[in-house]
Amino acid sequence: MHPSSFEYFAPTKMKEALELLSKYGEEAKIMAGGQSLIPLLKLRIAAYSYIIDISRVEGLNKIRETGDFLEIGALTTVNELEENELVKEKYRILHEAAVQIADPLVRNRGTVGGNISHGDPSNDLPAVAIATKAKLEIVGKKGKRLVDADSFITDSFTTSLEEGEILGKILLPIPKVSSGGCYIKQKKSAGDFSVAAVAVNLVLAEDETIKSAGIGLTSVAPKPTRANKAERYIEGKKIYDSVAREAARIIVSEAEPSTDFYGSADYKRKVLGRIAEEAINLAFERGLVR
Amino acid sequence: MPTINWNDRELEYDSSRFVKGTGHFVDDIKIQGMLFMTVLRSPYARARIISLKGGISSKDLGAKIASVGEGASEGEASSVEPIFASGFVNYVGQPVAAVFAEDRYKSEDLLDSVEVDYEPLKPVVTIDEALSSPPIHKGMKSNILSEAVKGQDFSDPSSPIVLEDTLENNRISTNPIEPRGLVASFEGGVLNVWASTQAVHSVKNGLAETLGLSKDKVRVMQADTGGAFGSKGGIYPEYAIASFASMKYGKPVKWIETRREHLTSTNPGRGVRGKMKIFSEKNGKITGMKGEIMVDAGAYGSGSGGFSVPFIESMMTGAYAIEKAFVTGKALLTNKVPQGPYRGAGRPEASFFIERMLDLLADEMKMDPADVRLLNMSDKPFNSPLGMKIDAARPFFETAVRELEYRREAKLAKGVGLSFFVLVPGTYTGESARMIVKDGKIGVWLGGNSHGQGHETFIRKLINEELDVSKELVTVYRGDTSVTKDGEGAWGSRSAILIGAAIVAICKKLRTEVEKEFGSYSSESLLSRDHDEYVFDEKPFSLTSFGANLATVEIGRFGNVRVKKCNAYYDVGRALNREMVLGQIHGGMAQGIGQTLHEGLFYSEDGQLITSSISDAGVPLAEDLPNFGVKIAENRSSLPHGAKGLGEAPTIGVPTALIRAVEKASGKRLRKTPVMPEDLIA
Ligand SMILES: Cc1cc2nc3c(=O)[nH]c(=O)nc-3n(C[C@H](O)[C@H](O)[C@H](O)COP(=O)(O)OP(=O)(O)OC[C@H]3O[C@@H](n4cnc5c(N)ncnc54)[C@H](O)[C@@H]3O)c2cc1C
Repeated sequence: MHPSSFEYFAPTKMKEALELLSKYGEEAKIMAGGQSLIPLLKLRIAAYSYIIDISRVEGLNKIRETGDFLEIGALTTVNELEENELVKEKYRILHEAAVQIADPLVRNRGTVGGNISHGDPSNDLPAVAIATKAKLEIVGKKGKRLVDADSFITDSFTTSLEEGEILGKILLPIPKVSSGGCYIKQKKSAGDFSVAAVAVNLVLAEDETIKSAGIGLTSVAPKPTRANKAERYIEGKKIYDSVAREAARIIVSEAEPSTDFYGSADYKRKVLGRIAEEAINLAFERGLVR
Repeated sequence: MPTINWNDRELEYDSSRFVKGTGHFVDDIKIQGMLFMTVLRSPYARARIISLKGGISSKDLGAKIASVGEGASEGEASSVEPIFASGFVNYVGQPVAAVFAEDRYKSEDLLDSVEVDYEPLKPVVTIDEALSSPPIHKGMKSNILSEAVKGQDFSDPSSPIVLEDTLENNRISTNPIEPRGLVASFEGGVLNVWASTQAVHSVKNGLAETLGLSKDKVRVMQADTGGAFGSKGGIYPEYAIASFASMKYGKPVKWIETRREHLTSTNPGRGVRGKMKIFSEKNGKITGMKGEIMVDAGAYGSGSGGFSVPFIESMMTGAYAIEKAFVTGKALLTNKVPQGPYRGAGRPEASFFIERMLDLLADEMKMDPADVRLLNMSDKPFNSPLGMKIDAARPFFETAVRELEYRREAKLAKGVGLSFFVLVPGTYTGESARMIVKDGKIGVWLGGNSHGQGHETFIRKLINEELDVSKELVTVYRGDTSVTKDGEGAWGSRSAILIGAAIVAICKKLRTEVEKEFGSYSSESLLSRDHDEYVFDEKPFSLTSFGANLATVEIGRFGNVRVKKCNAYYDVGRALNREMVLGQIHGGMAQGIGQTLHEGLFYSEDGQLITSSISDAGVPLAEDLPNFGVKIAENRSSLPHGAKGLGEAPTIGVPTALIRAVEKASGKRLRKTPVMPEDLIA
């Protein structure tokens, strides 16, 4: 439970961080809140010669609306999401996910960027990014690039970040008037990861049919996933109990949960089915409220 | 005569320092030049060691571990655990080699310097595999570590009601807040050891035997001990390795276990399966019981697997007057860490088996579980066919049903469970205490060492009662084998009984001495002279007590159980200190809830521990616990100070009441702990 030795840097400028990262290449690792990385180092599951602590890098901890997006700096802590009035009011899906992450100690340190970059299929924020069709701004030596949340996490604990790149911002589309979202998470005990969790974001048309659906899933596949088929199934429909139930069935049929001490794959499918149905209904109800 | 430094407050028991953060645990011990030990452990449940280079290993220390402490049992030579794996590894986490450095970081770095080649073998992981597979150890005929039978066999009567079921308690980690640890320092021909322990003498005897040292060359001192629950009653390979290394290097050596090591390599408890068959008359009166138990002993006989079998068997008729009973049992070797005692150590398992059957009988008869129990109790003391002596159960149970307001609860809610049990404390072989009166003060040393229970509270009270000496003048010191000649350990619900009796015996002796010298007794006279008394009080007689629990639950739609009520009615004998009694019960009830709903060590098919972090192993959290309702019956025991056993009562009584409550609320027959959410939803 003691990490192997490493050299530690705490740059305050993005430029410095990028320089260090390119200088040390594969031997270096970015650290933000350290809540996922430090346990890996202590258990010696991972070892790096250089740790670049970006938590002091300026300008990466703001939450604000600009243009069509809510911009969240990668270093924003989960606790800041939890307490931010704008997020509380207007981005319930995000707020609901944030307050259910781990415990206050972890939320005070863990960052939004870290939560997504870690690539943990049980982390809660990637599914929210997927459901809201968020974009991620990635910073590298050559400049910035934008990627879809869907293509960011490529496998368990693996992202499409290339060597020398840092996740800088998360851009969440500002919700349309008739839209509703929610995050439902079922966990074994307080402060825990989920057995299964579902993020649903629905945009409604004038006639109350679904114009656009976003459904992201946590803990039920090797990576956070979009429930593509179910989205297509509900688009163009009004949500009735039967529609929500069928959508949930589709979601379950596509999920690939594995058996572990959170429960058997079978149990996770049952849980997923119930919360998916509930989440679709809830997001729809919220979308109806103008 | 020990040197006493009365001002050395750091050494004394005074629970308030734990609250103030001024406790002194093993890891607080720092000695100049001390080395830190890290153990290289087997990554396989079973493998042949093809080659091994680096560190200290079996070629340096080929000894096998001595079996000492609670539930110590010898077993066949080929099943005794070697200090270091030799030739083969037999469980994930088994010590293979050890490395040493001036600090922990470097010490862990050195793990990379040890080279081991393994040839993985197919492990024997479950009880069933153990029964059907060739022996895991050469030199044994099968995986049966030991067998025992209790009672007289009888041919199945032609009863109108015959019920059978197979019931199981999964393994669980003891998980004290402080994991294991010790500092060993070999100096001037004497091995000094500071340990986190329940039993300094067990550690001393075990190390002397394992390392071939004469007993007077080993001194073991207790550091403050942050919980144990059975896991720190004996010795482990790491203790011998650290001691050996301190002798080899001529330097003090410290070893502190990590939580992950605790989960993989510290003896866990439970892991017992029981096949039960009861015969009953038409009215629900049980006439006979047959049982067969299987204990998952783990890879070696050095745990308590062998001891568990006859001990569990002896209690399998519970508090009931069942005239005929016959139980067979086996402890089986598997490629898992050796099993050991965990709070209750066989008592909860035995009670689980019989209580689950009484509930089944109640359902079969469509009777209230309380009534079925009443029907099967005696008004008089009862000697069970399995060898247990119990007092008259029915009068106590009738009161318990009233005190717990069971009948009312059963009407109000669906998920209600009631349990009844008899607690058999582990009084074997007695316990030691030494009391020194000097400089107008009293110092007390014990053979059985408090690891968080706060023995000092009742000791001060008893001395105050017996000798009229104010509590401030009494200091209870941590265990030290150089001060007490002998001793057993603090486990098995025994301390208030045995240490209490030993203290009272010494007090009586002192009183007589003072009366002889001064004509009459006064505390001033006592304190005006030096005295030094030691007793080893043997209390081999049985001193059982009864207890009952009530639990109510609600089940969420995903099968998560919410415990609404968890109440107790226990006979504690005379409550020497009410707050301490409540503390014991509250903590034990939390563990009972933990075992039933949250805790378990689970292994994969290839013997890897799946639950290798404390959150995975599932300790109960604050939000999982209700407000406890505790009522105490104080039926004094025959001892002069009136105490009875208590510590293990809640871990016996809570799981059985709680699982019944869950069973009622879910409508599903439940057979094992922990109950998983998925067992409860359609
Ligand atoms: C007890 C416990 C319970 C938890 N429960 C939950 C839970 O229920 N739900 C949940 O979602 N999470 C949970 N977590 C994880 C927690 O939310 C972490 O904070 C999060 O996964 C990582 O954020 P961090 O800022 O601490 O990242 P770090 O630990 O610092 O980094 C994690 C990984 O991301 C990389 N990284 C970090 N920031 C960036 C960046 N800006 N650009 C590129 N790479 C980056 C690092 O290099 C590293 O590989 C839990 C953690 C703990 C310890």
